[in-house]
Amino acid sequence: MSDVLIEARGLGKAYPKVHRSSDRLRALGRLLFKGADADRISVLRDVDLEVRRGESLGLIGANGAGKSTLLKLVTGVLTPSTGHVRVNGEIGALLELGAGFHPEYSGRDNIVMAAALHGISGAELRRRLPGIIEFADIGRYIDEPVKHYSSGMVVRLGFAVIASLKPDLLVTDEVLAVGDESFQKKCVKWMQDYLADGGTLILVSHSMYHIQKLCRHACWLRDGEVAMIGDVFDVTQAYLAWHERKAAPDVTTDNADRHNVEFSVLDIELNGSAGLQPLLLERGDTLRLSARFRSRDGRVPCVAVGIIRADGTPVYGVSSDMDGHVPRQSAPNEYACDLQFPDLPLLPGSYTVRVHPMDPEGVRVFDTLERGVTIRGATREFGLVQLAHRWDAGAGEVAR
Amino acid sequence: MPVALTLRFIRRELGNRFAGSFSGGLWAVMQPLLQLAVYSLVFVHIFKARVPGADAPGYVPFLVTALWPWTAFAEAILRSTTAIQDNAALIGKVALPREVIVVASVCASFAIHISGFVAIVVILGLTGQGVSLGMLPLSLVLYVPLFALALGIALVCASIQVFVRDLIQALGQLLPLLMFGAPIFYDRTLLPERFRAWLDLNPFTFYAESFRALLLHHGSVDAVHVGMALATAILCLLFGHWLFRRLDAHFEDFL
Repeated sequence: MSDVLIEARGLGKAYPKVHRSSDRLRALGRLLFKGADADRISVLRDVDLEVRRGESLGLIGANGAGKSTLLKLVTGVLTPSTGHVRVNGEIGALLELGAGFHPEYSGRDNIVMAAALHGISGAELRRRLPGIIEFADIGRYIDEPVKHYSSGMVVRLGFAVIASLKPDLLVTDEVLAVGDESFQKKCVKWMQDYLADGGTLILVSHSMYHIQKLCRHACWLRDGEVAMIGDVFDVTQAYLAWHERKAAPDVTTDNADRHNVEFSVLDIELNGSAGLQPLLLERGDTLRLSARFRSRDGRVPCVAVGIIRADGTPVYGVSSDMDGHVPRQSAPNEYACDLQFPDLPLLPGSYTVRVHPMDPEGVRVFDTLERGVTIRGATREFGLVQLAHRWDAGAGEVAR
Repeated sequence: MPVALTLRFIRRELGNRFAGSFSGGLWAVMQPLLQLAVYSLVFVHIFKARVPGADAPGYVPFLVTALWPWTAFAEAILRSTTAIQDNAALIGKVALPREVIVVASVCASFAIHISGFVAIVVILGLTGQGVSLGMLPLSLVLYVPLFALALGIALVCASIQVFVRDLIQALGQLLPLLMFGAPIFYDRTLLPERFRAWLDLNPFTFYAESFRALLLHHGSVDAVHVGMALATAILCLLFGHWLFRRLDAHFEDFL
């Protein structure tokens, strides 16, 4: 029975291209007389978004993906070019740095102004002011002009104002990145309490740690479009995998005459499926690999199998000759092997399984075929695999 | 229109104008008085300016009663034209009704110059310059349509300035033209007969002559002119509001 706080349908934003001053005049004319809208740069397209009261949504994406534009549309600072967005509640927004502070005025004056912008003044403001100043915790700087503040202090002040407002919806854009460790902790703590009290949050951050800690849902924007939206762990993993793939060296195997080489891979099946889609597994599942090889001269190949993370980091590699296994013959000049990885300890993320046939001596690699495997699951552990571990409750055994 | 927010902006605007000046708010009163001293020296003692007519008022009260309303009017337009542009940082980060910024700027100019006007008229009245102080409250009512007219023009200028940055330069030239095209430094009767009616095309003419009619009993204003001035002010305000609303959504794209 949670009601919808933000509803966006087909939301899009395009900026007019303004290069010369005559373009500005033309744009004005078009706006006044409803002419055809020429030359526009689209930064956000067709965003459908629904955030319910009490939800927390992380907004992730590369620089320039449209995250800030989306936030500005939600907060009403920008007017959408297409579609519409509706917010049923009061918004506290901290967009970029500063939250609209005037550089010439002191921190205290800016608090008063910011509060007035949120409709708080008079006695109500006097009651809250000490709390805001205490939260910002910037000491004597509170009476200095904001232009003398460090970027961290500006964010502290901005966050302090928003925190005192307790809005229905809190929108923050890369705020945590600027504050120091202790202020970050304070903000995260405050946001957790705020969420526990039924607050709604939209958080933009490049820190997946913060996103996963604070948000239950995530939306990944790519080039102005929603690439993925859903559970925070699924989306952040897909996003990180995308980054890893971008950074990975391009493995393009030249397969032009792979069937004329001594050994080649005919096909791979992962857990019985031969499709090209990545195989979805939960952590702890069993990965079963079946591969068939063609041997030109009828010799028995040696088979190497490797698991690589999406960015190219090797996780594990093994070959049949290491374990003394010999692939079985399945047809004339054709060999097959089956390999199992029970209780897979890989952490959630995207991986690639590579299979290479090698000469019987295990020296030369002849071919490569790979398939994707995605491990699903929610965890905040780091790294590639889960190592067996145990926390010892050894307090009683401390040497005296 | 959120009143508390507008008041806050007005206070900030007033603070801006006197920030850094040693005397603060006192300057609001000092400035018109010093200006008056300069005008009386130049016009009365150097130019030997006289207002024509048998029982004509002295030149100083004649000038003051029209020049102060003009200063409020012109400064309100000039300052609020760049109001949106000057607050670009705020507009880009906080959703607020942007008319507030323009309204606050116009209010601040009027507040400063109305207080100067009252101070000067009272001084002239007490020093026996032929100003009827009893009409002062009524004359202040004239500031209401003048304010509406100024706000209407300010809304138009502020929204167009966002798109066409040359407007403020053009206004710097246009406003003095409008000032000398209104009977502020001279009386309508000084013009050749065939040009006198042209003055009515200038929206400020009505105000210059009405302030004098009320405070100095110099000349008279008929109901037709009052009606036309009121209609002009209301239409101007409605048009300004309409235009601002229409362009408002696109400000952020051009700031």
